[in-house]
Amino acid sequence: MIDDLVVGLAGSGGDGVVSAGESLLAAASSQGFYALMTKSFGSQIRGGESSCRVRLSTRKVLNPGGLLDVAVALNWEDFRRFGAELPIGPDTVLIYEARAGPPPADLAPSTRMPAQVICVPLADLAKSSAGTDRAKVTVVLGVLAGWFGLPEEALDGGLRKKFARKGEGLLESNRKALASGIAFATLHPLAAPRALARPAAPGRKMLCDGNEMCAAAAIFSGCEFFGGYPITPSTEVMQILSRELPRYGGVVLQAEDEISGVGAAVGASFAGKKSMTATSGPGMSLKTEVLGLASIAELPLVLLDVQRGGPSTGIPTKPEQADLFQAAFSAHGDVLRPVLAPTSVEDTFPITVEAFNLAEHYQTPVVILSDQEIAQRKETVDPIDVSRLVVLERVRPTPEQLAQGYQRFAETPSGVSPLSHPGMLGGNYLAAGIEHDATGAPTASGAVHAAMNAKRFRKLAPLQERADLFERKGPPDAPLALVSWGSSAGVAREAYARARARGLAVKLLVPTLLYPVAEPVYRAFLASVRAGLVLELSHQGQLYRLLRMFVDLPPGVSSFARSGAQPFRADEVLERLERQAEAIR
Amino acid sequence: MTPVTGIDFERISMCDALDLAVLIEEEARDRYRELAEQLATHDTPEVADFFARMVRIEEHHRTELLERRQTLFGSAPSRVDRSHLFDVEAPEYERARAFMGVRQALETVLAAEVKAHLFFSEALPRVKDPQSKALFEELREEEVQHQAMVKAELARCPDRADDSEAYADDPVAQ
Amino acid sequence: MTAPATPADYKSALKPIWCPGCGDYGVVQALYRALRAVGRPPHEIAFISGIGCSSRIPGYTTAYGFNTVHGRALPIAQGVKLANPDLLVIVAGGDGDGFSIGGGHVAHAIRRNVDLTYLVMDNQVYGLTKGQLSPTSPRGLKTVTSPLGSLEAPINPLLTVLAYGAGFVAQATPADMPGMTALIEEAIRYPGFSFVNIQSPCITFGEEEQQLKAHKARMKPLASLGHDPSNQLAALDLARGYGAELHTGVLYRNPHPPPSYDALVRERQAELQRGEPRPRARVLHDCLGA
Repeated sequence: MIDDLVVGLAGSGGDGVVSAGESLLAAASSQGFYALMTKSFGSQIRGGESSCRVRLSTRKVLNPGGLLDVAVALNWEDFRRFGAELPIGPDTVLIYEARAGPPPADLAPSTRMPAQVICVPLADLAKSSAGTDRAKVTVVLGVLAGWFGLPEEALDGGLRKKFARKGEGLLESNRKALASGIAFATLHPLAAPRALARPAAPGRKMLCDGNEMCAAAAIFSGCEFFGGYPITPSTEVMQILSRELPRYGGVVLQAEDEISGVGAAVGASFAGKKSMTATSGPGMSLKTEVLGLASIAELPLVLLDVQRGGPSTGIPTKPEQADLFQAAFSAHGDVLRPVLAPTSVEDTFPITVEAFNLAEHYQTPVVILSDQEIAQRKETVDPIDVSRLVVLERVRPTPEQLAQGYQRFAETPSGVSPLSHPGMLGGNYLAAGIEHDATGAPTASGAVHAAMNAKRFRKLAPLQERADLFERKGPPDAPLALVSWGSSAGVAREAYARARARGLAVKLLVPTLLYPVAEPVYRAFLASVRAGLVLELSHQGQLYRLLRMFVDLPPGVSSFARSGAQPFRADEVLERLERQAEAIR
Repeated sequence: MTPVTGIDFERISMCDALDLAVLIEEEARDRYRELAEQLATHDTPEVADFFARMVRIEEHHRTELLERRQTLFGSAPSRVDRSHLFDVEAPEYERARAFMGVRQALETVLAAEVKAHLFFSEALPRVKDPQSKALFEELREEEVQHQAMVKAELARCPDRADDSEAYADDPVAQ
Repeated sequence: MTAPATPADYKSALKPIWCPGCGDYGVVQALYRALRAVGRPPHEIAFISGIGCSSRIPGYTTAYGFNTVHGRALPIAQGVKLANPDLLVIVAGGDGDGFSIGGGHVAHAIRRNVDLTYLVMDNQVYGLTKGQLSPTSPRGLKTVTSPLGSLEAPINPLLTVLAYGAGFVAQATPADMPGMTALIEEAIRYPGFSFVNIQSPCITFGEEEQQLKAHKARMKPLASLGHDPSNQLAALDLARGYGAELHTGVLYRNPHPPPSYDALVRERQAELQRGEPRPRARVLHDCLGA
C-alpha cells in the first residue's frame, strides 16, 4: 500500500489532459483524499501543449511533489516540453500512447530512465469502447483507477461533471472508456502493486485554488470595492468577485487599465470602504505611483500581486518569486508598505484576512504576494474555522473628536490617526499626495515632512514583533536552518520533515510577513544557526538579499534560488541540507 | 453677462434698491479683502495694505447704506441676495499681480469704479420707481466722485510703468 | 442637516497659492456659489483633483478633498462615487492632467457615465512646471519646450468629450462670472457625467490674447447665437471652433439622460440583496462550495 501518489500528464490542448487531471482530483477529494493539482501550459491560448500534475495522499499535501510516480505521455514532443514540471526517475511508471511510438532514447539520462515503461493503446481502446479515440484520457483515468484502487464511482462523478451537460450519450461512451481502462489495468498489473491506502477520514473534501481563496477571504474581511484589470494569473480574483461581491453589497469595477483599477480602489477607500485590487508583476509596476499616494494619504488598500515569470511579459503562465523587491521597494520617497505572502491555497485565506486587518488598522496599502502556483493550483483544504479569525475595522473619529476640531493627521502615540470619510459631518479634510500637516494642509516644511515620515513609519513598528506571522519548527538550538516563503515553502516543509526524520538538527522558518523585515524574529531564530538555506524561486534570491539588508545572516546561510518555472523538489533541498549539515559537523 | 440677474429694474422698490446697493458694496469689500490676502500671501505687502484700506472704505459705504435701509424699512426681510449679483463694483481678479505697484492697484480700483458707474448708467433708464431712481442716480454720482478721487491719487503717484517684473526672481517650478 | 447659508461656508481657511491674476480665483468663487445653489452640505461632497495649479482647488473648499496624483483624478473619483453614490463628487484638474497624462481615462469615465462633474481649467500651458507645451497649446506656440514654435496640433477637449458621448458639455470663462457660476451649477445638477471646459488663463505663462480681457472681447455666449443645446450635431459643429472661437454656455445637454452607472450598480445590488445583508461567512459556501 502507498499513501502518496504523484501523477503527471502531458499532451496537446485538444487531448484534455487537464480535464482528466481535474476528474482525478475531484474523484480523490470526494473519497476524502488530500489532493493537489497544478497545471502548466505553453504560450498559446488554444492548440498549445498542456500538462498537469496531480498529487494524492492520505496526509496533507504540502506541494506538488517531486519526481512523478506515474507519467502519462500522449505524445513525446509535448511531454518533453514539460521536462521541468514533469520530472521522471527510475521509479516512475511511464505509460505512453501506443501511436506515439516508443520513448525517444534521449528522453532522460540513463540514470533517470524509468524501469517500467508501458505502452498502452489508449486511442485504440477509446475507439473500441467509446467509439472515438478522443476519449483516450478517460481511458487513462480507468487505467489509473485500476492500478491504484480508486473506486470507479468516484471517477464517474468527475465524468458526469464534465460531460453530463453535453449530452447523455457522451457521458455513457466515456463511462465505457473508463471501464476499458480499468480492464486494461486488471489485465496488465504493475510489477509491484501500488494500491493507495484508504484515507483516515473519508468524506468529501473542499477543493479550491488560491485565487478563489483570496476572493473569498476578501469578502469575508468586509471588502466592498474591487477595482482591477485582467492580467494572468490573477484575473480569476476579479472574475469571482464580479460574481459574488455585488451579492454582499459591494462593487467591482473592471477598469480601463491597471492604474485606473488601483486608483478607483484608493478612491473607494477614501470614501470609507474596504477595498482591493489584484494584479501580476507588470500591473504592479503600473500601480506603483498610486500605491505611494495611498501610503502618504494613509489610506487602507489591499493589493494582490500574483507573481509570474518576469521581467516584463516574462512567462505569464508559470510561477516565480521575483516580485519581492518590487513589492517592498517600488516606491519613490521613504515608504514602508507591508508585504505578506501565503504559502498554500489554505493559508491564502487567513493571510488575506490579515492583509485587510493590517491595511485597515494601520491605514496603509498592504501587498499580498501570491504566485502562479498557489493562485491556480487546485487543492483539497480542511474546513476553515472562521471563528478563529478576527476582522479589524479602521479607527474612525469619535463624535467628540469630530465636534472638537478634528485633525485627520493628528499626532498620536501609535502614529495611527482616526480616519474620517466623506459623509461624516465634522470630519472634512484634504487628503493629498502632497506632504501635509496634521490638518491635511499642504506644506513644504522639512520639519513637518520629517515628523510625518516618522509617524508613517512609527505606526508600523509593531509589525517587528509579529512572530505569529512566522511558522517556526524544530529544535530551538538547531545549528541548521531552512528558510522559505510562498509556494516554495511547501517544498521546504516536506524537505524539513524528511530531514528531521533522518535525524538532522534542522529548524524551519517560513515568514508570511516578508516586509518590513521583522528583525527581532529573525535574530531570535538565527541565534543558534551556523548554516542554512534560503529557498526561493528567483534568479537573484530576493528574500536572501532582503534579509542580508536587515539581518546579520550567519555566513553559513546561503541562497538556494533559481529562476521561475522550475519548481523545487523536496529531495534536492534535502540533499543540499545534508551537505550543509556535513560542512558544520 | 449682466452683473445683476433676477431683478426686474422696472419694478424695483426702494427697499430692494437699497438692499442691492448694500450687497454691491459688500461684494466689493469682500473682493478687496480677497485681493489683500492674495497679495499678502504673494509678498506684495504695500498693495495688500492698500487693498485692506479699500476694504474699510467699502465697508464704510456699506454701513451707511445699511443704516439708511434700516431707518426706512427696519428689519423687513430682504428679497435680494448675493446670488443676484456678480462683479458689480468688485475689482477684477485678473488685474492682480504678484509684486504689483500701488499705481497698478489704483488703476484696478478705478476700473472697478468705472464698471460700477456703467452698471448704474445702464440700469437707470429702466428704473420706474422715483425713490429708487433717485438712489441709483445718487450712487452713480458717487462713483463719479470716487473715480475723481482715485484719479487724483493716481496723479500724485509717479507715472511709472509696472517694472516689478523686471526686478522679480523667476517663478518657481513646483 | 440644513444646508450652509452662504457660499462662504464652502470656502476653507487655506489661502490659495495661485498667482494673483490667475483665472482660477474666479473659478473657485463661482464654485462656492454653485455649491451653495445646489445646497449639499460640504461633508457630503467629495472633491477630487489631480496635479497641477488648478488641482489645488479642493483644498480651498470645505468639502472632503483629495488632491491625488497626476492624471488620475477621474479613476479615483469613480471609485469614490461607486463606493458611496450618495456623495456629490466633483473632479477638477488642468488640461495637462485631463487630456495629456490622464487622457486615457476620460473616454472611460464618459462611457461608464458615472455621475461626476468634471471641471477642467484649460489654460493651454503647463503652469506648475513653468510654461511648457500642453495638450491644448495652439500649433506654433513658443514655449520653453517648443522654443521655435510647436509643430503639434492641440487636442480639442470639447470635440473629444462630445465624441466620447458625454451627456453634458459646456464651456465657461472667468471673464463671465455669473455665466460660469450658472454653468457649474447646471453641470452638477445634471444626472450623469458632466464636463465643463473652463478657459482659465495663466497669468504668468499664458499668452496675452488668452487673458480674461481678451476673453471678454471675443467670447460668444451660445445662448445669444440661438444654439439649441439638445442638438448633439450642432454641438459637435460648434465644438470644432475650439481654439478659434470662444463659445460659452451649454454645447450639449442630453434631453433624456440615461441612468448613471452608479444608479444602475445600486439598483442591481438592491436586486441581488433583496433588502437582506448577506452574512459574510456565507462566502465559504458561495465561493468555495464548503
